[in-house]
Amino acid sequence: MADVKAEPHTGAVKFSMLIAGAVFALMMVIGLVMRAAQGNLIELEAPFFYQLLSVHGAGMVGTAGLSGAAVMWYFVGRYVPLSARMYWAFIALFLLGVVFILTAIFIGRYGGGWTFLFPLPAISGEAWEPWAAALFMLGYVSIGVGFLLYHLAVGYPIMKHYGGFARALGWHVGFGGADPADAPPPAIVAAAAVTIFNTIGIIVGAAVLVASLVHLLVPGFAVDALLAKNMIFFFGHVFINASIYMAVIAVYEIVPEYTGRPWKTSRVFVLAWTAILLFVMAVYPHHLLQDVVMPPWALVLGQVVSYLSGIPLLAVTAFSLCVYLHGSKMRWDLASSLLVLAVAGWSVGTVPAIIDGMISVNKIMHNTQWVPGHFHIYLLLGVVAMSFGFMAWLVRGTKASESGMSGLDRMAFGAYALGAAGFALMFLISGAMSVPRRWAVHLPEWVLQDRIATAFAVLVVVSTLVFVIKYAVRLGRAPG
Amino acid sequence: MRRPLLILSIAVFGSCVLFRQTLERDPVTHVLLLLPALAVAGWLMAVSLGRHRLRLREADANALTLLGVFAILFWMLPRYIDASLTNPLVEAAKFISVPLCIGAVLAVSWKATHPFLRGFLKANALSMLGVLAFLYIHAPVRICNSYLEVDQQRLGYGFLFVALALSLVWAVPLFFPADGGATPNKHLSGRATA
Ligand code: HEM
Ligand SMILES: [Cu+2]
Repeated sequence: MADVKAEPHTGAVKFSMLIAGAVFALMMVIGLVMRAAQGNLIELEAPFFYQLLSVHGAGMVGTAGLSGAAVMWYFVGRYVPLSARMYWAFIALFLLGVVFILTAIFIGRYGGGWTFLFPLPAISGEAWEPWAAALFMLGYVSIGVGFLLYHLAVGYPIMKHYGGFARALGWHVGFGGADPADAPPPAIVAAAAVTIFNTIGIIVGAAVLVASLVHLLVPGFAVDALLAKNMIFFFGHVFINASIYMAVIAVYEIVPEYTGRPWKTSRVFVLAWTAILLFVMAVYPHHLLQDVVMPPWALVLGQVVSYLSGIPLLAVTAFSLCVYLHGSKMRWDLASSLLVLAVAGWSVGTVPAIIDGMISVNKIMHNTQWVPGHFHIYLLLGVVAMSFGFMAWLVRGTKASESGMSGLDRMAFGAYALGAAGFALMFLISGAMSVPRRWAVHLPEWVLQDRIATAFAVLVVVSTLVFVIKYAVRLGRAPG
Repeated sequence: MRRPLLILSIAVFGSCVLFRQTLERDPVTHVLLLLPALAVAGWLMAVSLGRHRLRLREADANALTLLGVFAILFWMLPRYIDASLTNPLVEAAKFISVPLCIGAVLAVSWKATHPFLRGFLKANALSMLGVLAFLYIHAPVRICNSYLEVDQQRLGYGFLFVALALSLVWAVPLFFPADGGATPNKHLSGRATA
């Protein structure tokens, strides 16, 4: 490994982003179908709706993870040598998991949701056979093993190169008073933090997955339902957050090319990332605020830390971005526009999330569409926008005629921002009106928002197709 | 040859034989004390006999490590633990294979194993200890004929504590490596001590 030099694995990353873009588009179409069905615009059998809901949830979360991983791999590769073989092993395991999950859902008719909450997968009421649930979970196991390899492949060279995770996280600057010039670049600080907490999440997730699998095969072996729920949401929360925190590296690394000012690791930046590292793992109880049997201190912890967790990093990132943008001659093209939009969307999305994190509000809102409302903001306008921005940057034109934004770019960008914001807003409105989430069939009073949301979703899907097709075309053209 | 280590190894092994029945009476001491002690005896033996003189290729080290892992998995199966209590042949196999196939083999192979494989195995060990804890604490049936359900639950908690302890022991050096990292960043060379 010593003779490998640090350089991004452009080909592998471009390939991953092609898959990610295509799957994002496909899963959005499935989301559109679900929303149209809720609005009575089309007819879906209820069991099929739940299959679609499961594939949409698992597919979107998995793809967000994949694209975040690709972003991080690309930029970490600028600083430390990485093993291309490990990356391909990761991709292979990931795709194997996708095949398992698709088979489980579309052939096995699994419809127990992406959270595979115990004991639902095992009590389908004959809607699916145990093997389908088992295959679904095996798909997760495969993806989890893939991510474990991925994080080993990122974490080990970072540890070697920077002399341990404490230094890679910049603790000598954050706590030891060392000169910030000695700190690792932002991409490394972020990668170190994500690697630590996502590995912990995967270890916990693997344990509950395997225990759930044993339960499926030998139903006598029950697991403790509350403990299982805790572990599942710990894993789920950490994993989806990791995808955001990996993707934001694209902002740190790409925006400086447009502003001409490097994104520096400061003391505050280090402290914010250390806060994330701790809090991302401590806040998951906000998913369990309805479980009255949980010890109250855990729920209060979940609530309080919810405020603390996102805010420092978000503030540091959004604030720095404003500072960097202000007074520099920013060049706007599709990539830079999407990246800036993503930071804005991510910021806006945390507001309704924090509201939902309040125990008193959560009692009323938790199972309403408020919840998909807030996470679709920071997923669509955050993670996915970062991924599309990264893709646009990967295939950016080098000729003068190709810099800046074309008319098509402008239209697609505007449609995406408007569509995503409108779509998520309709979820929030429905939530505020107490429309339950995860219902295949909606009452007539709820149908209006569903239909408006469907129209917004069409905008998102069409603009996404523009981004992805443009990427694919340019990929075919570009050398390498 | 390092004689003190050899003597220590024999002493550990001897105590295992001597206190066999006491340790095996309770599944917690059986699985979490006797078996690890046997492995340690094998490890010490390999070290005292000069494992450093063996120059293993990485591929061979990986293979040996996997052999050791399979031996661990084998002795984690309740039915063989059970059998070792009733069948003297299985008991003898345990006293020979745990020191040799786990302790000695890993002593020889572990350091030369590829770091990615080592990390992967450690992460898996933590997950699987978690699974065992899950199952043993909540199992509705007696898993071993020779032990009671309450014993089995205590063992489940034991696995959980081992998992927590191991995760600390394994994680701390990642943050603060003893050698300060093999190749620290060049512009960090004038750094204060971490
Ligand atoms: C055009 C874009 C999208 C559309 C039309 C869409 C549509 C939907 C709909 C209708 C639901 C079910 C809401 C309910 O519970 O009643 C849903 C749930 C969900 N969506 Fe989306 N979505 C889109 C984009 C995304 C993206 C980009 C992500 C993640 C990266 C995502 C992740 C999820 C998740 C995790 C759920 C929850 C599934 C569950 O409740 O089990 N969606 N989406
Ligand atoms: Cu969460």
